[in-house]
Amino acid sequence: MADGELVALVGPNGAGKTTLLRMLATLHRPQTGRLTVFGHELPSRVDQVRAKIGYLGHDPLVYLDLTPWQNLRLFADLYGVDWNRSAIEDLLDRVGLLPRAYDVVRTFSRGMVQRLGVARMLLHDPQLLLLDEPYAGLDAPGATLLDAVIAEGRTAVIVTHDVNWAAHHATRMMVLRGGRVVDTLVVADATDPDAIVSRYRELVA
Amino acid sequence: MSRSLRQIRALVRKDLWLEMRTRDTVVAMGLFVVIAMVILQFGFGTRETDLTRFAGGLLWVPITFAAVLGVGRSYVAEREQRVLDGLLVAPTSRFAMLIARAISITGYLLVVELVAIPLLGVFFVRGPYWGSVGWIALAALLADVAIGVLGTLVASMAVFTRARELVMPVIFLPLLLPVVVAAAGATHAVVGGHDMTSYTRYCVFLVGFSVLFALVAFATYEAVFDD
Repeated sequence: MADGELVALVGPNGAGKTTLLRMLATLHRPQTGRLTVFGHELPSRVDQVRAKIGYLGHDPLVYLDLTPWQNLRLFADLYGVDWNRSAIEDLLDRVGLLPRAYDVVRTFSRGMVQRLGVARMLLHDPQLLLLDEPYAGLDAPGATLLDAVIAEGRTAVIVTHDVNWAAHHATRMMVLRGGRVVDTLVVADATDPDAIVSRYRELVA
Repeated sequence: MSRSLRQIRALVRKDLWLEMRTRDTVVAMGLFVVIAMVILQFGFGTRETDLTRFAGGLLWVPITFAAVLGVGRSYVAEREQRVLDGLLVAPTSRFAMLIARAISITGYLLVVELVAIPLLGVFFVRGPYWGSVGWIALAALLADVAIGVLGTLVASMAVFTRARELVMPVIFLPLLLPVVVAAAGATHAVVGGHDMTSYTRYCVFLVGFSVLFALVAFATYEAVFDD
């Protein structure tokens, strides 16, 4: 992947999209083959790779019995981020949770928890975003926030079932089926996103 | 401060925050120990009975089962709130995760023993007791470290298994047996008289046990979390 690329992993259920993303996130080890991230063939220098990755899965990966401030402070320490109260509060302000910074997350709506997950993902200013159906469960402010994060031009891999979204926003669409990449559709140069969607439907039919 | 030390401190503080918020683990362990000791007292008959020679067992059997309860609750927050991936995808040292959890479990046990050790004197020992409390506490600290190290290793393996509620006691209790024997022996040595030779031998064993399983943890921590 080139810097700034947004690659969408698409395909039917069970195609292996999430498994591939979790391997990129170093959460699964590949049984065969090689996986090179940031020039390091995993699992070598895995901590250096992890420090550059921002991962948002189906779950926001935050403690529901802690406050947003406590969650972000914990993850700041785990990522080795030099934090101070105002830096964390600025991030919480960005995701619209500053007024609830010291309330227990368990009392939040699903969309608010997911926004906290976005804050956790951005805490260490990652170079690569790995997103698994990130819009699922996001409220309107959260979706706008994620749009803005993606529009910043960070390199990203996103698993999505929304082929239309991918055809309009991704630079490439990688079509997976049965654990294999069956085609890679270059979206960036395409003048007709609908043609990309049609081609995808042919591939998975 | 090194990266691992910072991570250990953060993870222990997180466990403390969670425990202060939910009061799930320590309260459950403490209640269990108190109830078990009350039942034992009634089970053995009247308060006039001097059970000094059983003091080691009467203290450590309830604490052992409370430890199983506490260790079994390790990673409950991570599992139920689905946050384990968040810890694993961060550059968190897996060894730091184990050490932090062992410190937390040891801390929980120490709090429980603040209640259990005085109860032993109140319920079961009729002879001189309170002068031995310091020695019992020292043996308890060493035993708690051993339980913490072993418990963390087993709990970390069990968290990825399906039948974890079954795996935990089936694997943990037999491995814990030497710790219970040594801790009960050390307690008996100072409560039933001042046999400091035996006491020292048991304490050395507890230190050796902790070191052994810390080495096992160090050798296997990557595999436990990443394979």
